[in-house]
Amino acid sequence: MPIVTVNGKSVHVQELNKEATESIVLIHGMFSNLSVYYFSIAPLLATKYHVVLYDLKSHGMSEKALTGYDLESMTNDLLALMEELKLQKVHLGGYSFGGLIALKMAIRFPERINKLAVIEAPDPNDDKTRGIIDEYSREFLEHYVENFTDTTKVKMGKRQMERNHRMYEYLFYQTSIKTDMELEKDFFDSPEIETIKKATLLLYGTDSNCLHAGKQLDGAIENASLIAVPGDHNIPIQQPLVIAEALLNFFQET
Amino acid sequence: MDTITTKLSSEEIFSLMKQFITEVIGEEFVEEMDITPESSFTKDLEMDSIEIVSFSEKIKAHFGDQIDFTGWLSSMDLDQLINLNLGMIISYIEECQS
Repeated sequence: MPIVTVNGKSVHVQELNKEATESIVLIHGMFSNLSVYYFSIAPLLATKYHVVLYDLKSHGMSEKALTGYDLESMTNDLLALMEELKLQKVHLGGYSFGGLIALKMAIRFPERINKLAVIEAPDPNDDKTRGIIDEYSREFLEHYVENFTDTTKVKMGKRQMERNHRMYEYLFYQTSIKTDMELEKDFFDSPEIETIKKATLLLYGTDSNCLHAGKQLDGAIENASLIAVPGDHNIPIQQPLVIAEALLNFFQET
Repeated sequence: MDTITTKLSSEEIFSLMKQFITEVIGEEFVEEMDITPESSFTKDLEMDSIEIVSFSEKIKAHFGDQIDFTGWLSSMDLDQLINLNLGMIISYIEECQS
């Protein structure tokens, strides 16, 4: 299992097609892991590009961390990972919370980014987004796992439920993720969003409750284009080929 | 990484797969399970996607360039991935060896 040390913590990284000249880094969402890309989106992009996937702290097979879930810390981690992997400039894609990290990255380190792809990034000020954090309970978890996670179609067994439950418990009650996220609530309304000049692709589900966030970003980012894909917040799982092809076309456009 | 060149029988591949699964999910869970070639990863073995990533990495590390396991998985849709069982992987590895 490929592990690199970033800011003193072990990070699980997967790289495909290392020989390619241009690189794409993909960031997964909260409570998810790099597998959201590993099985279908990454292999397709890897037909043309060097693709880098990594697990965020406390997610997947990366080391746990009690603090540092704000976008500044998350982008510090990504920059350090790029340094470690000697990636000077990359195309960047992020899904959900990973989309927020990608946006912040383009704001803070534009010189390290070629093009930017944002999939289903929620408005952190949205009640529904914050509600996920506020309304957490075992009952809610079961509902959430059944309806909103990567494993949409799979009824979870006991071991998986326990595993996921432990992760949620850890993230919610032991780490600073709740307070860190609350501090980001004005992110979409901040003037820094409008400083993004990169070619930006926004991919949102036609039935997603985040679609309005996509429209808001489309209005705020000068060089953005929004594509609505049939599906809801889970479009990378529901439509992996559509997403992969949209990303490939976008990154290849000159 | 060790790359093997000798051809394995389906029984040998099955036992290797069981070893990888044990390494990924832990002996305590494997002991409670009756792993057969019909066992599906998500339903019977209750492996989640990141565990299947670990399992895939073990296959790739063991067989090296002999097989394109990720490429093979990427040709499947979600339903096929969910229904993926050990027997299908054994057949795929056997095909690649022939």
